[in-house]
Order: sequence, then C-alpha cells, then structure tokens
Amino acid sequence: MFLNIKNLTKKYDKVEAVRNVSFSAEEKEIICILGPSGCGKTTILQSIGGFIQIDGGEIILDGNKIENLEPEDREIATVFQSYGLFPHKTVIENITYGLKFRKYKKKDAIEEGKKMLEVLNLRGYENKKVTELSGGEQQRVALGRALIVKPKLLLLDEPFSNLDTKLRVSMREELLRIRDLFNITMLFVTHDQEDAFSIADRIIIMNKGQIEQIDTARNIYLNPKTEFVLRFIGSANIDKGYFVRPEAIRLSENGEEARVVGKTFKGSFIEYIIEYNGNNYKMIRLNNEEEYQINDKIYIEMEMREI
Amino acid sequence: MGIRNKTLKVMNSIKLMNKEKKTLDIMNSLLKIFTALLVIVFVLYPFLSVFGKALYSDGRTNLSEFQFIKGEFYLVKNSLLSASITALLSTTFALALGLMTFFVSERQKKIIMFILLLTMVSPPFIGSLTYIELFGRNGFITRDILKLSINPYGLWGIVSVQTLGFTSLNAVLLIGYLDSFDKTMIESAKSLKANTTSILLDIVVPLMKPAIAVSFLLSFIRSMADFSSPMIIGGAFNTLATEAYLSIIAKGNSPRASAMSVILFIPSIIVFIVYSHFLKQQQSASKNLRESQTRMKKSGVYHLVKILGLFFILWLIIQYLAIFTSAFTDKYKGEIYFTFDNIKDSIPHIRDSFIRSIIYSIIAGVFSSLIGLILSFYSYIMKGKYMKILDFISNMPYIVPGTFFGLGYIFAFNKSPLKLTGTALIVILNLIFRQLPMSIRTIQSSMTQIERATLNSAKDLGAHNLYILKDMVFPMSYSGLFLSFTNAFISSMTTIGSIIFLVYPSRKLATFVLFDLVSSGKYKIASVLSCIIIIVCLSVSLLSYRIFNRSSKNVS
Ligand SMILES: Nc1ncnc2c1ncn2[C@@H]1O[C@H](COP(=O)(O)OP(=O)(O)OP(=O)(O)O)[C@@H](O)[C@H]1O
Ligand SMILES: [Mg+2]
Repeated sequence: MFLNIKNLTKKYDKVEAVRNVSFSAEEKEIICILGPSGCGKTTILQSIGGFIQIDGGEIILDGNKIENLEPEDREIATVFQSYGLFPHKTVIENITYGLKFRKYKKKDAIEEGKKMLEVLNLRGYENKKVTELSGGEQQRVALGRALIVKPKLLLLDEPFSNLDTKLRVSMREELLRIRDLFNITMLFVTHDQEDAFSIADRIIIMNKGQIEQIDTARNIYLNPKTEFVLRFIGSANIDKGYFVRPEAIRLSENGEEARVVGKTFKGSFIEYIIEYNGNNYKMIRLNNEEEYQINDKIYIEMEMREI
Repeated sequence: MGIRNKTLKVMNSIKLMNKEKKTLDIMNSLLKIFTALLVIVFVLYPFLSVFGKALYSDGRTNLSEFQFIKGEFYLVKNSLLSASITALLSTTFALALGLMTFFVSERQKKIIMFILLLTMVSPPFIGSLTYIELFGRNGFITRDILKLSINPYGLWGIVSVQTLGFTSLNAVLLIGYLDSFDKTMIESAKSLKANTTSILLDIVVPLMKPAIAVSFLLSFIRSMADFSSPMIIGGAFNTLATEAYLSIIAKGNSPRASAMSVILFIPSIIVFIVYSHFLKQQQSASKNLRESQTRMKKSGVYHLVKILGLFFILWLIIQYLAIFTSAFTDKYKGEIYFTFDNIKDSIPHIRDSFIRSIIYSIIAGVFSSLIGLILSFYSYIMKGKYMKILDFISNMPYIVPGTFFGLGYIFAFNKSPLKLTGTALIVILNLIFRQLPMSIRTIQSSMTQIERATLNSAKDLGAHNLYILKDMVFPMSYSGLFLSFTNAFISSMTTIGSIIFLVYPSRKLATFVLFDLVSSGKYKIASVLSCIIIIVCLSVSLLSYRIFNRSSKNVS
C-alpha cells in the first residue's frame, strides 16, 4: 500500500481525539473522511501532515516511516480550510514559495509557477495580491501552491467549505482532473456527503475518534455496517434493527395500505411522510410522478433489511 | 547505467539538502541561545543584583539595611498615602473621561484622544514645572490673579501633579476597553427603558471593573516609583522613591537605596500578579467589530461625568497653554511680553543632549522591537517551553520601578568582565531592555492576526523555522514592529528614572537637562525644552499613526 496508517492515536489532555485509527490508500486513490463535527477528522490530517505530535501509531508513506519527521521533511502538502495563503505575497509568490527550498532558480520557479497558473485557469493573475481574489480563486492558489512541490500525498481539510454550491461542483471536477494530471494520492476531509460521493474512491466514516466503516460510496450507502453509518449517510427509516431507505419504498397495487400524513416539495423530488402499521416512514418520489395529497391512501411494498 | 547515475544524483542532492538543513538548525539554535543570553544578562542578572546588594553583605545575609522601616516608617507611610490618593483620583477622572465618550461625537472623541496623547508624550515632570509656574510662590494663578502667597509644596502638590500625569494613560486604557464592548448590550438595556444613570451604574461600570482595577493599580505603582515629582514639589514630604534616589546621589549609600527599592518592589509585584489576572479577563471580553455610536440621553449621572471630565480636560489645556506661553514670554516689571530670548538661551543646554537623546531613543526603539520580535517568535509562535520562562523574565522590567532597574545595572555591570558603567552602551542597553516588555506586548498582539494555517502552509512547503521567521512572521508583523518602535522611542525620549544613575555627567540626555533646569529654577528654559520634546514625540507618533493606518489599509 502506498499510504499506511496503523493504530494512530492522539490525546488532548487525556481525552482521545483519535483512537487506534488504521487505514491505507493506494497510489492515485482519493479517500474522503466524513464524520460529525469534533470526531477527529482534522486531527488525523494534522497528524499525517506532521503539525501535531501523535501519541501512538505509525504512518508509512511510500515505504518510509514518517511519523517522526518534521512537516517540512514529509513529502506531503496540505490545503487548509482557511487556505493559509501568505497575505503579504502576490499570487505567483505564493505559488512558487515551496520551490525556494527545492533548489529552483528564481527564473525556473516563475516558469513553473506560470505553468501551474495555466493548469488552474488562473492565467494573468501572477501579480495580483491574494487578498484581492475571490474565494474560489484563493482556493485554487492554495491548491497550486501545494501541488507545485509534487508531493506524494495531498491533504485537504474541508477545502470547499467557503465556496457556494456551483463552485463546489466545478472544484470537484477540477480536483479529479488534477488527480489524473499529477497522479497524486489525496486524503480529503469534508462535511458534505455529496463531495464525498462524487469524488471519493473510498469513504471513511468516523465517529468519536474511531473509524466506523471504510468502503466505496455504494457499499457505505447500501450496506452500512453500523447504525451510526446508516443514520449518518442519507436518511433511513429504522425499526428494531431493520431499516429501509426512503427511495426503496415502492408503490404497488398489490401492496399494503398506508396513509400520507406529511409532504414537502424538495425540487426534483417530493418527500412524503406516510403512516404504515402505526409507524411513520419517510418516502420519496420524483416530482414527475403522480402527486398525492395529505390523507390520501396509497399502497406500498418494501423490504426491511437487517443492519 | 543511466538509472544508477540518476540515483546518485538524487542521493547527492539529498545529502546537500541535509547539510543545509543542519546549518539552518545550528543557526536557529544560536539565535535562540543568543536571545536567551541577552535576556538573562541584561534583565535577570541586574534584577537579582539589587536583591543581592540589599540582602547580602560580607558574604552573608544581612537585613540591617531594612532597619529604616522602623526608624523612618514615615517614608513608607508617605509613599502609600500619596500613591493611594493619586491612584484613586486618576482612576476617577479616567473613568469620567471614559464614560464621556458615550456622549460625545466621533470628532470630539478624536480631540479628547489627541489631548490625552499629548500628555503621554510629555516628559514626566512637566506637570511639576507648570504646577510651580501656576501655583507656586510666584505662581501666575496664586499670586498674580488670586494675590495669595501660599505654600504649594507637599502632599497635595505631588498628588495633583501625578494625577494630571497618570490619568491620561488610564483614560486611554478605559476607552480602549469600552470600545471593545458589545454595544448591543446597551441597546437592549435602552429598549428595556433603562435610563442613563442605570445603564451606566448597573451595566457599564460593573463590566468595566477589571479595567478600572488595572488602571488603579497601574497608577499606584507608578506613583510609588515616581521620584521626580516629590523631588521637585514634595518640599519636606519625602517618599521611599525620593529617599532611595537621594541615598545614591547625595550619600552614595547603595545598600540603603537597594533595600528601599526592594521594599518599593513588593507592591509592584503584587500589583503585577493582580494585573495579569485582570488582563486575562480583559482579553476574553467580547470584541465587537461593528463600529457603532451608542447614544444615551444626557441626564442623571451624565452631569457628574461631564463636570469631572471637562474639569480634567480644562486643567490639561491650561497646563499646555502655560508651558507654551512660558516658553515664549518673559516678565519685566510685572508686565508679561512676547520674546524669543528663552529659545536663544536654551540653545547651549540642548545642543548635544538633544541629538544624543534622539539617537539613543532610535537605537532603543529598533533593538527592543527586534529582540521583542525574536522572543515572541520563539515563545508565542513556536511555543518553545523554555522560551515561555524567558518571556516572563523579559516582562520584569515592566513591573520594577525605574530606579530599581537602574540600580541593578550599576551593581551588575561595574566590574569586569562586564564593566560597562560610565559608557554610553550601558544607557542604551538599559533603555532597550526597559522597553522590551512593551515591545513584546505590542508585537504579540499584532501576531494574533497571523493565522496558524499560513505558518503551517509555509512549513508544509519545506520552510525551515528561520525562513518562517524571515519570510512570514517578520513581514506580517510590520504593524506591530512599527508601533513598538514608536512607543519605545517616545518612552526613551521621556524617561529618566531607570537611567538617572547610569548617565555620565558629560553625556547628558534631554530629560536630564530638563530635570536639572527645573530643579535649579530655570523654568523659562525648561519650558522651551519641554516644548521641543513634546513636539518631537508628537510628530513621531502622528507620523507613525499615519503610516501605520495606511499600511494596515493596504493589507486588509
Ligand atoms: N488543540 C486542542 N486541544 C484540546 N482539544 C482539542 C484540540 N484540537 C482538537 N481538540 C479536540 O479533539 C477532538 C477532535 O477535533 P478535530 O478538530 O479533529 O475535529 P474535526 O472532526 O475536524 O471537527 P470539525 O468537523 O468541526 O472540523 C474534538 O473533540 C476537539 O475538541
Ligand atoms: Mg476539522
């Protein structure tokens, strides 16, 4: 494996922010870490990046143990949530700063920097101040600054959280393009499930400092290993150890009787609350299908699955 | 073959990088050690020397120097008495000025701030000077207007001069604190129909308690440590500070001076501990970025606030008018007339001393800021363990009375290998390290603006600590460095206490000349000199305010 994390543990004043976390990644893989606030996502990234001292465990990157190296000696680059751009430097100075420590001549560094701006669709921005850029542009500068040093691993801590929905979508595509262009492995922390589902090869679901499940998006959604994962990803109707996803409730003339008790228009689909067997269930239908009113009787079929 | 060559090349470049990293590591350690040594030698060592002198003689502990507490207890009593009254009065006036800002327009507030700034850039005994000129035996107000002949010297002279001098800093402190208040609190109180008196007394003043305590305590120590006002206008009213000063200057009795300084230091350290405690609370006070002018009805307690505030401002204005007129006028047969003679007469007094003062102050400003930056970098940004201790030590000059710090320099540096007494260097070093605590504060508060992620990014890209200092922290601390330089420059220009024992008679500084002139009754020339000092300091601070404002606009 290209990246191997073994039994990573980090304590803050005896409280374990991360406990015995192990996972690995292959070269060129994009792994997303998802989890509620405070579950230890940032702590994992900072441990791998070397910004905090870990209390136990091993980090192996491309065959080398790196957990005792200083950040500047790890072949890892980080894009921080707040970008951490150098506010007193221009775009090109920001982008090329890392080359200074890699024995580049100033002229070559600027050459490389310009190429990077090209890749990131930032041509002509060389001499702008980073404080004059929009959120999306700053984001790309941060990305370029990290990529230019050709790290083996790129860490991204909620890099899209300051962007609006449209920009997020285009940045996701950008990130996939960059992965193919630079053949780079990425570890990506996000709050947004859509981010994870659209770009991750595999997703890590965390809770209270521990990993609940590591799997592909499809498996996480369809076969959640724990109730936490089930509840955290998407929405589900749960009854005594069994669950059914709202879209898995089908209408059928031969089905059993249920009654509509609530309804919300959600754009492309409509969410209904139905009463069935004395319980309430969430059900969704696309908005081009027949629409029901509250108190309508409907007939449904569903298959509850064991968690 | 090709592959092997390539591997060799890569390995060589790795070796090269390792070598360079080692060099950087060594330089980093050297810088740390050097800074640590500076602080230990020029802050801790002199500090301990005073204790040594006071407590040890003939190789053993000897407390006999403290006998004066019994025999001359009146000294302790006088110091405590005048310090308490001064602290009380200067805090009351400052509070009134602070509360007044709720009722005045932005423009009026700026004018008040300017007047306060004026007193903060004035030499410390300027108050004594005008006091004598206005209220002295031949005073303009007491004799010429009121036709009185009273003795103005003594406790009340000291108290009024110190109150006038210390209120400004307190007021600036309180106004700063009020500015950081969440104004919506007052708005909601108003919407609940609270009147002005209740808003001020039930909400604002209780919330200001920490800041009020800080300003009371600060004035208390400053008053205890001040020897110049009691020297000039204390008359027979002697305090610990004057007695310590006289013990050295007149009697050459340094153990006695040290013992007195140690006693003076006790309240300072207590105050400092309380102060840091309050300071913590103060920093956690909510910040309100929205600039809003809160308006309250001018009623109730407002009138008292207004009377106190206006009285103080009027008093300050009279003081400065008096100095400026005194610099440009003279009296002949009871007639006052305009003249440039005073200025002509002052030239021989100021020529050398003035330029020397400016040069020393510039050096002190530059170096205290640079050392402050390096120390803050290691303690505040890198969070080095030992550096925290160093940070504490470098804050000590802030709490000790000036004369204490000066005595320390005499005792510490009067023998080889560090024999510095009588040189210009010892004066400059003293100025640098005396200003260091203020520099550290200013710089660290500007460092709070630097984002962790920015520094981590630089580290992540391969920047060694030294590069982070040079490429990130240094340029991002410009505003703090600038402010720190200005403050240190002004303090050095106006200080006297800590260097009075160190300056060689033939190499006097402007404040010394001024002190001599006032002490020997040459008030006219003293006024001219005061004006020049004020003008220089004021220009420097206004200039730096201009530049600072411009550069901060550019950044954000
Ligand atoms: N410097 C610190 N000192 C003490 N506790 C900390 C520190 N940093 C993080 N923690 C704690 O460790 C836990 C994990 O924090 P972490 O920042 O990794 O969470 P996160 O998953 O990134 O959360 P978010 O989604 O809100 O960013 C939290 O409970 C947090 O309070
Ligand atoms: Mg986080």
